[in-house]
Amino acid sequence: MNKLKPLFARLNKFPRVALVVIGLFVALGTFAPWLAPQDPSAQNLLQGSLGPSVAHWLGTDHLGRDTLSRLIIAANTSLVSVGSVLIIAMTIGILMGTIAGYHRGWVDDLLMRVVDVGLSIPSLITALAVIGIVGPGYWTMVLALALAWWPMSGRISRAVAVSIMSKPHIEALRVLGASPWRIYFGHLLPGTIGAVMVYATADAGTAALAVATLSFLGLGIQPPTPEWGQMLVDALPYLESDPRQVILPGLALTAAVIGFNTLGEAIALNRIPKPLTRRMLAMRRIEVAGWAKENSDA
Amino acid sequence: MSLNRRSFLQVSSAAVGLVMAEAAFARIAYAEGAAGTLRVAIAKPAGNLDPQSHFAIWAIQDLMFEPLVKYGKGGQIEPCLATDWKIEDGGKTLHLTLRQGVTFQDGTVFDAASCKWNLERWMGKEQFSWMNCSKYFESLEVVDDYHITLRFKEPVLALMQELTYTRPPRFLSPKSVGADGKFGEPVGTGPWRQTSADDTQSVFERYDGYWGDKPSYERLEAKVIPDPRSRVAALRAGEIDLIGGFWIAPLTPEEGKQLEAAGFNVAIDPGNVSLVMAFNPDRADALKDQQVRKAISIGIDRAAISQALYHGYAKPAGNLFSSALPYAGKQNDAPVRDVAAASALLEKAGWTGSPVRSKDGKPLTLEMVVSPDAVPGSRVIAEVIQSEMKEIGVDLVVRSVDHASKHTDMLEKKYDLGFFLTYGAPYDPFGSVVALCLSTFKNDVEGKLVTDAANLDPLINAATAATGDQIEPTIQKVYDWLYDNDAIAPLVYVPSIWAHSKRVQGFTGPVTEYDMPYENIVLAE
Repeated sequence: MNKLKPLFARLNKFPRVALVVIGLFVALGTFAPWLAPQDPSAQNLLQGSLGPSVAHWLGTDHLGRDTLSRLIIAANTSLVSVGSVLIIAMTIGILMGTIAGYHRGWVDDLLMRVVDVGLSIPSLITALAVIGIVGPGYWTMVLALALAWWPMSGRISRAVAVSIMSKPHIEALRVLGASPWRIYFGHLLPGTIGAVMVYATADAGTAALAVATLSFLGLGIQPPTPEWGQMLVDALPYLESDPRQVILPGLALTAAVIGFNTLGEAIALNRIPKPLTRRMLAMRRIEVAGWAKENSDA
Repeated sequence: MSLNRRSFLQVSSAAVGLVMAEAAFARIAYAEGAAGTLRVAIAKPAGNLDPQSHFAIWAIQDLMFEPLVKYGKGGQIEPCLATDWKIEDGGKTLHLTLRQGVTFQDGTVFDAASCKWNLERWMGKEQFSWMNCSKYFESLEVVDDYHITLRFKEPVLALMQELTYTRPPRFLSPKSVGADGKFGEPVGTGPWRQTSADDTQSVFERYDGYWGDKPSYERLEAKVIPDPRSRVAALRAGEIDLIGGFWIAPLTPEEGKQLEAAGFNVAIDPGNVSLVMAFNPDRADALKDQQVRKAISIGIDRAAISQALYHGYAKPAGNLFSSALPYAGKQNDAPVRDVAAASALLEKAGWTGSPVRSKDGKPLTLEMVVSPDAVPGSRVIAEVIQSEMKEIGVDLVVRSVDHASKHTDMLEKKYDLGFFLTYGAPYDPFGSVVALCLSTFKNDVEGKLVTDAANLDPLINAATAATGDQIEPTIQKVYDWLYDNDAIAPLVYVPSIWAHSKRVQGFTGPVTEYDMPYENIVLAE
């Protein structure tokens, strides 16, 4: 229990509501197939648009499908698609950014002009263009959003990489004769990933919204896979006769987006430099001792 | 100045009262402005109204331009600018008697000369060869001021029906065109004259020199409201009086039901357009087997689709055409869903196993292409069919595409299952049969519902070549072939839905989806 104390102390610094919401979202998304009480695609046309009941806790949609099950499975759809979009976008962005930051010179100029072009076009338009060429579908949507998303993380990672590269310890490494691979993979990449991850958390909300937007336009997830944006658009005709069908997916989406944004902000605020603890000091000593060994080997 | 509770309440209640009074005055002023005006919603600007081009909203052209003959209920041909007609020579000669006392809205007299001028603008031109009367046109002879004779190279199928179309056969004033003969102003012989048109609305006033029954109100405003929900809200707010019409400002069954509950008058017509599912055996080998096609057809619950998605406004379909159309053929009952029979058929065809059936190691997976923009509501219907197919072991993948991709995919036959809408009156039955089912007819808009050069084409050619009493039995053979081979799966007859405010009285739905139903309306002020 004592070991968990620092973890709790750290978590305590984050807004609890955001933590609960995102925790719930991730848990629901991960375990959705086991948590959904009913088959989310099972229809019963004669039981459409029913209010909450014992059989259907949150009622049914216009085709008589269980709303609760669809909301839970939709969390999984969103989690997987948002996760994939961010992983692909961050991978491309961090690679481009760190290469530019490490190499500088013409490589930097070239890569950053590509990033400038990417940033100058609104991400949704890039995504729509990709979908227009490849055709709508789940993985097309993920790819399209990733292609629209990476320039932002590319720009951030380049800035972080440049600042890391100008730090004295990198200079020391070079003087001590560390190989470029070692500097890149051992020092530059880990440092950059950490910084960019913070922005990724804040971006997750926007990405979830983009997935919902594309589905809302009928360009993303195809039936019968439930998705919050798709559930919203399906329910729109019933806004007046049964607003519950619109409000529930709307609330889920709003909670996820606000949760991610709040959490991202909190993480960014918590990254203000902390005083060196005894433990961190010891770690650094061990690392520096390692350098000396490497030097003597050479 | 100090503010106590009393003065705060006084000031705020005065402000609220002022706002309410202003709103009430605005409403009164608005209602006064609308007196004698019928306000109709249109989903897009009326467009280029040239009767010989293909860009305008049909119903707006219908307000100004009139045909020689009109399409009446059940396909009855009624006199309009022609009072009498006689077909001779086995369908190769048409004698027309023109109505006297008709003037175009610019004062030009409508007579044989202006009629000839109009007909020669399109008859016999390559661009209009999709119409038989244009394709086979030979000559036009003016007998006297009010009689003309048209001669054709071949007997013309559905000649009088073709003359009822909105474009190109309607009549434009010869004085309204430019020096180069190109369309200038929309001037016809109809009861409405356009006074202004822009991207927000088209305004018409009653043409007092109209030869027929004049509308009882003076103005008609067609207001452009692209968003369906905004149209419904505008009707509720009293900003418009009438919404509906498949090509004008479509109203969904759900919206119709909500408006009915809110006390608006909703007029439902059984409709003469059919929603049909196409099989593409050229892409999906499984569909080459008639048993598979039949299993899919009887695996669909048409009654539940009609009940749940159309609120019972649509009738389940067993035929390509509903009985509202002429020559619609013998009406078969709509197939009733039978999961056991469908599964048995698939077993018999060699598709076994679960949850997805397979044959020779290949799963029974079919792709359905839908576009809610092209066929309203098709995505939801596809979801329902997808779930019903799952129950009989067919894995249906729904691919939802935009309007443009739908047209290219349908033309290139990139689908296993797809939805088609028939054209409806006045084009059907021959319009859809030829354009959607005859393999030799080039259709680069919708693609083909079903084709079979060896078996179906001869039947269609025989039906289109038939005259008089022979038409009915020959076209029945086409319907029988489609039915006996399970070549298509008709789903529902799409209803025509209109909603109007209490201000509109005497409303009757239009005979075709291409007309504006202004005729019997009386405005209560």
